[in-house]
Amino acid sequence: MTARAITVGYLYPEIMSGYGDRGNLAAITRRCGWRGIATRVRELNLGDPVDPDEVDLFLIGSGGEFHQRLVAADLADVKGPGICDAVGEGAALLAVGAGYELLGRFYQPSRGVELPGARLFDTWTIQQGADLTTASCTLAEARACRAIGDLLIHWDEGEELLVGFENHSARTYLGPAARPFGRVVAGQGNNGDGGEGVRLGNAIGTYLRGPCLPRNPELADFLIAAALQRRYGGAELAPLPDRFEHAARDAAVARFRGTRPGRGRSARVIPAGGYATAGAGR
Amino acid sequence: MAALAIDAHLLSGLASEIRRGAVIVTGTNGKGTTCRMLAGVMRASGLRPITNQEGANQPRGLATTLLAHARAAGHLPADDRCVGLFEVDEGSLPEVLAQVSPTTLVFTNVFRDQMDRYLDLDYLTRRWERCLRSLPADTTLVLNADDPRLAYLAADLPNPRIFYGLDDTGHRRGADHTSDFPRCPRCAGELGYSCVFYAQLGHWSCAQCGLARPAPQVRAAKVDLIGSASSRLQIITPAGEAVLETPLPGLYNAYNAVAACAAATAGQLPGGALPAVSQMAPGFNRMEQVTVGGREVHLALAKNPNGYTEVLRALLRDGRPKHMLLALNDRDDEPDVSWIWDVDFESVCGLVPSAVLSGNRASDLAVRLKYAGWTDADAARITVEPDPVGGLRLALSGAPEGQPLWVVGTYEALWQLRGSLRRQGLVSALWEV
Repeated sequence: MTARAITVGYLYPEIMSGYGDRGNLAAITRRCGWRGIATRVRELNLGDPVDPDEVDLFLIGSGGEFHQRLVAADLADVKGPGICDAVGEGAALLAVGAGYELLGRFYQPSRGVELPGARLFDTWTIQQGADLTTASCTLAEARACRAIGDLLIHWDEGEELLVGFENHSARTYLGPAARPFGRVVAGQGNNGDGGEGVRLGNAIGTYLRGPCLPRNPELADFLIAAALQRRYGGAELAPLPDRFEHAARDAAVARFRGTRPGRGRSARVIPAGGYATAGAGR
Repeated sequence: MAALAIDAHLLSGLASEIRRGAVIVTGTNGKGTTCRMLAGVMRASGLRPITNQEGANQPRGLATTLLAHARAAGHLPADDRCVGLFEVDEGSLPEVLAQVSPTTLVFTNVFRDQMDRYLDLDYLTRRWERCLRSLPADTTLVLNADDPRLAYLAADLPNPRIFYGLDDTGHRRGADHTSDFPRCPRCAGELGYSCVFYAQLGHWSCAQCGLARPAPQVRAAKVDLIGSASSRLQIITPAGEAVLETPLPGLYNAYNAVAACAAATAGQLPGGALPAVSQMAPGFNRMEQVTVGGREVHLALAKNPNGYTEVLRALLRDGRPKHMLLALNDRDDEPDVSWIWDVDFESVCGLVPSAVLSGNRASDLAVRLKYAGWTDADAARITVEPDPVGGLRLALSGAPEGQPLWVVGTYEALWQLRGSLRRQGLVSALWEV
């Protein structure tokens, strides 16, 4: 097979990478690299337009409210149409946290005018409670209205749970045309109704942080396969040894089940280049 | 709630009895080290600093510290040489300033840390600005000129300000992923840098409105990083020059030293006392060196992306391979360890021939290092052993005889390690705070 290559559109790398989001980019580029698939990373900054034919996989991460205000108009007006066209033609997309919120119809902060959305997803998001931009509330008050903690979900494409971490004060609601990305097993997800995220074709919006792709390699590979499908009309992915990744995911599931791992378990030595199971088992 | 109210009353009452008032140091990284360096300068100036223990840096910890110094009648001794020197948790600054009016308030830096707790850096600095409004107008603000979020903190207040920073541009580095790219504090424009030291720290200016790093009155004109264990600094203050030898490595400790000198300048301590920054007691896990079973072990605390990255750079800058134990724990109520993805493990790939990963989140660290390239080819031999004491044993047996072991860990992981070793009598009293 001739060498394959995909283009990853990384949105606002400086502004929207506040929560380890570069880990999602690393998961895509490394998992492609291990399979001999080349990746070209196209950084999409404020003011840069989106060519819908160029990008096969979009990544947009998270940020604070200040960052959200900074990018909202650019995402809605400058990049939104190109992203919507690309997704309509099969491009993959992963939007996390604030990035997910801004790809819906609108974002309503607890004070002030609403921020425009890029209208990719039929969703809208309403911030609850404390307004961090004025700092008029205490830390305890600000934390009280947030969903903070481990987030575990089921999704259609995989048998395994997806694991991550959520930390958001806004609630996202889905319109009649939208379907959730997954079903909450632990945590809050969109708004407490049991749904998590949104799925439109190969585009996924989610509150799963962590970053989510390294610990959920099936999700990373779903996005890579979708990007290859769009670029080449076919997507064979060689399996990878994911024992580290699965051990980390198992540890997260074990935490949820109340059996915190990590005390006094036996060690295993991993030879250079090998990927033995980590000690933190179920 | 009653206990908290009593704490608040105690704190404000006792703090007001300190004859020379209090110096408060806050910020994300370096507040403990800056305090210990400043304590050395204070002692060399004939003062008696009352300090809080590391970690006891919220209102209750401060009240407990002062109570421990109080006489039977519940008052502090009337000693004209007594001065308060407190490191204060950055999230607790408003609560502390409601009880204590410092003579000098030192800000070290603002980095991402415990985002599940502090939520948002801009929110954190806005809370600071809000509480600074209640300060007496003569409280001196000591500010890091190189940190754009701090240099113009509450700029409309009339309080005297002393800026500090690094001037040795020989240590410049390229753009840094551990930065969270703050915008201009005046117009929210994009910042440009003529020199980045690390993260967002450097010589910055705003292309849009022209706001720029203020010229620091206290600055490190020359920084010599000597190996993995010490540094020499040439410091310039309004009173003159001083050469400092510090037993700590890395640019981040140069910032701590120059912050301590700036605070000393604010307190009008004699310039001749500045070299006493080196007369610091070893801090808990801040580049501590201990002996375990006859082997040399270095301990370093790293709990956020910047701290971790700078510790790695300081340890590995001499280019000599080092065997490491990396220990990562979360806290029961705050399971977010996403910050490890913002640590620059990539740039030191290949310098660590063997690493044992330990702590209850060791498996997350294994994934992180795999994606940083540490398991590619023959880059590193990685062993996962969640139990910290078992991990230490493995790491010691894995490192060649005669070579030291370097331990980098989060607070809880190092605390566990230290507690277990102390119970087994494996470490000396040096480990006691």
